[in-house]
Amino acid sequence: MKLFWQGFRAIIPLWAGVVPFGMAYAVLARSSGLSLWETQLMSVIVFAGSSQFSAAGLFGLGASSLSIILTTFVINMRHFLYTLTLGQAMNLSWSQKLIAAHLTTDEAFGVTLAHKQLNFPFFMGTALSLFLSWNVSTLAGSLLSEAVPDPEALGIDFIFPIAFLALLIPLLKTRKDLGVALVSGVAAFTLSLYLSSGLTILFTGVAGALLGAWWTRDDVTLEENP
Amino acid sequence: MSITLTLIFMALVTYGPRLAGFALSGRSVSSFWRRFLHFVPIAVFAALITPALPGNSGEVEVRLVAALIASLVIWYRRSLWLGIAVGMGAFWLLRGFF
Repeated sequence: MKLFWQGFRAIIPLWAGVVPFGMAYAVLARSSGLSLWETQLMSVIVFAGSSQFSAAGLFGLGASSLSIILTTFVINMRHFLYTLTLGQAMNLSWSQKLIAAHLTTDEAFGVTLAHKQLNFPFFMGTALSLFLSWNVSTLAGSLLSEAVPDPEALGIDFIFPIAFLALLIPLLKTRKDLGVALVSGVAAFTLSLYLSSGLTILFTGVAGALLGAWWTRDDVTLEENP
Repeated sequence: MSITLTLIFMALVTYGPRLAGFALSGRSVSSFWRRFLHFVPIAVFAALITPALPGNSGEVEVRLVAALIASLVIWYRRSLWLGIAVGMGAFWLLRGFF
């Protein structure tokens, strides 16, 4: 129990980032026509911030269900590397794996590794600390959005590209990262003139990642940092 | 497809890779796929940004300038909430001027 609370507290400094993002997600989702219940359900059963944000925006653009589901899959594929790493480092039973899998996020993974606390109670502390703050801020954002009379007139949709700029820019650590981002950005803008938003994202996401993987084929540094 | 059903499928395709990592832990992933997964969020986030940047309310210039200001703040401060706050704040201020 002590380890659990250590993990729980280790995430609290990150609440400052989680809460506004969760509220912004909920405001965007509600202005895209999702109900309070649907907005909350997504935070409970998907529980993956950037993919929820992208889905909230895509619902508003009238994207097809299939393209929303596939985009979610592509954005969240990276969690595979996190649980692969956690599974090697922690000795978990199958029931623990089934629970931990749902709660694995960038933050829980990063904080657990950074604190070198590779055990189930600490990890669950970080994970539930995030689950709680994410879901409470989703509810707060949902309720707040009911006080906003006309989200369209306010230009709430602008929060979508801005949030993804704020998620993207800290990822750009090398010239090749920046290069892939620029090529993908230009390609997506061009494709979006001809294709649906969902197809644009899927095609650019896969092609951009392949370009990056090919471009860095002679680099060794990336292999240690998933 | 109803929204609720879409959400359930989103949950399944998110849970799948998370569980697969635990199920396969002990195996190694080739360097190519590790690098591929490193670039997925970079490519996808960039692809989410540019088509949505101009918007369809005829405020292209204001949105581009606000996005540029937000980008500079994000670059130097590395803060998600500050980036969103500055971006939206700049947008609301600028559209008041034009």
